[in-house]
Amino acid sequence: MKLKLSLLFLALLCYTSFSNATEVTLKSSTQYLWYEDILTQDTEKDIAEYLKLNVSKIDKEGKLNIYGYGRVSKQLSSGEDVEGKLYYLYLDYKGLFNDRLDLRLGRQFVYLSAVSGVIDGANVELKKLGPVGITVFGGRNVQFDSKKEVTGSGDYLFGSAIYLNLPKNSRVELSYGVKYDDNDIARETIGFDFSTSPVKGVSLYGNTKYDVISEATSELLFGVKLQPLDRLTLKGEYYESYPTFDATSVYSVFAVDKYKEKLIEAEYRLSDNYLITAGYGREDFDEGKNANLYEAGLSAKPIKNLALNIKYEKRTGYAGSLSGLRLNGEYKIAKASIAAGLDYDDFRREESRASTAKKYWLGVNYDVRKNISVAARVEDNENYNYNHSYQGMVALNVNF
Amino acid sequence: MKTLNYLTLALAMGIFLLLGITNTQAKTDHKEFKTAQLSECFECHKSSNVQPNHDSSFIKEHRILAEKSDSNCIECHDQSFCLDCHIGGGIEQDLKKSISSKGNYMPKTHRSDFISIHPIKAMDNPQNCYRCHEANFCESCHEKLPQKGTLKIKSHTPLGTYNQTYWNSEHAKEARRNLQSCSSCHPTADVCVQCHSAKTGGVNPHPKNWRSIKDNIRDKGNPDKTCKKCHLQY
Repeated sequence: MKLKLSLLFLALLCYTSFSNATEVTLKSSTQYLWYEDILTQDTEKDIAEYLKLNVSKIDKEGKLNIYGYGRVSKQLSSGEDVEGKLYYLYLDYKGLFNDRLDLRLGRQFVYLSAVSGVIDGANVELKKLGPVGITVFGGRNVQFDSKKEVTGSGDYLFGSAIYLNLPKNSRVELSYGVKYDDNDIARETIGFDFSTSPVKGVSLYGNTKYDVISEATSELLFGVKLQPLDRLTLKGEYYESYPTFDATSVYSVFAVDKYKEKLIEAEYRLSDNYLITAGYGREDFDEGKNANLYEAGLSAKPIKNLALNIKYEKRTGYAGSLSGLRLNGEYKIAKASIAAGLDYDDFRREESRASTAKKYWLGVNYDVRKNISVAARVEDNENYNYNHSYQGMVALNVNF
Repeated sequence: MKTLNYLTLALAMGIFLLLGITNTQAKTDHKEFKTAQLSECFECHKSSNVQPNHDSSFIKEHRILAEKSDSNCIECHDQSFCLDCHIGGGIEQDLKKSISSKGNYMPKTHRSDFISIHPIKAMDNPQNCYRCHEANFCESCHEKLPQKGTLKIKSHTPLGTYNQTYWNSEHAKEARRNLQSCSSCHPTADVCVQCHSAKTGGVNPHPKNWRSIKDNIRDKGNPDKTCKKCHLQY
């Protein structure tokens, strides 16, 4: 309820307080959803109202904007209260001090190599300091469960980064992040990121995270992307991770193994309307366990307004084998678009269950008017849990 | 050694800084290309020697671009575009997205009935799960499973003459490979502590660099939730 009131208040404020030139756009989506809850084995029915607000041109230069997005929902099939999630609501001031400083205040999504999350706080970006830029953010670390906010007291998130732009589309960035859980340090991470294009058609990139508390590199990625032909892109990547836990979790004291992954991928554009992809990945779980992953796909637009995608994936080795096909398509007719798809997975878990999982779905989107549309989607799942598990949604979308 | 590596890294950044001051390129504002076709992007990227993105594997690789502190995603996408996948929103209906068992839209990466295949898919880079889900996300279902305790896990296989369940030699390897999955059903690790506690003279479960990191965990974290579970003195 708090969320709804906040958004309504903000909308009212925008309409009454800003100059005539101020532009306010409000998008609403009212949705009815039904789905199976695997724990209760009941069909749940929810109603949800999403609101997204953009206020722009508040000042003469158009540097000040306000963005908001939230949801209230109620499970009709149970006695649950009305729940709310305020995803973000922030004031964005760009280009202060001769376009050298951007400022965001309020609830917002922040993301760096070292740390990411939603905070109630401030994000400051200093830019155009020659080739250098600096970002600093911090605030309350906002946590959500499936329907509502569950932020605890003493949960904070801080981060900072310094980057440097270099010739040949090169760039390096060093970042630092710290996360507090109930006023104790849960994570302290250093991130490093680089990218460069030393010669035409060749890009190199890398990204790493170092966990300061565990004194271990928790993630390391190095990749190369090549474009030997205009229509052909090749990618090779090496990735490794070392699981780390919050220092406030007892799991942070246990020994763990590294996970390593090597992959190659190719993408070939036969024409503007046809694209084929293929990939192979080798996964190494340490102590002699590994897995192989194969992928192949085709994206096609055989006729105007029709898009088709097909993807096959096969996995063998540690933890289980899986052979899966994914097929979907979308066709646009005048004001409507119709989409449909199926997923089929044949799987065998190691030491456990072997079965198939099938999904069939159909969806329609229709523009009633320029600013009003309706969408509907139905889905059936057949798997070891259900002979048929139906789910779907109906949505009314209005742009004010 | 690691400190030395990071000092070297910092030094390398310093050298790059000196080089960079003399020669940098202005970043292109992409707002006006928001509705452009990908083929149009490729033309420009090719001429400026910037590898095209938003290609077929972009869902996998967008993290690397988005995490750059001056990433320009926001020029075309509102933050709702990120959060609809990462935190389960749904103001923009993507007809390819299914609804989870908890009533949120799931990212398209969750194919088929994801509950059936997630034990296998979660092993393809286990860190991917934790980019959107907190560790307690797994626990919220596994703790409440009506058939809790019946999952067939190699290390949990009954081995005794009378089908008693006890930890076999596989459990250490399994736990090291995917400790996060252990925490799904045993969030407080009470079952681990039964044999690994120093209070009962248990088997040492700590990593090789324990001597180096134990003070970090004790001083920065919360020893009541960690050290104290197994040690009287720490």
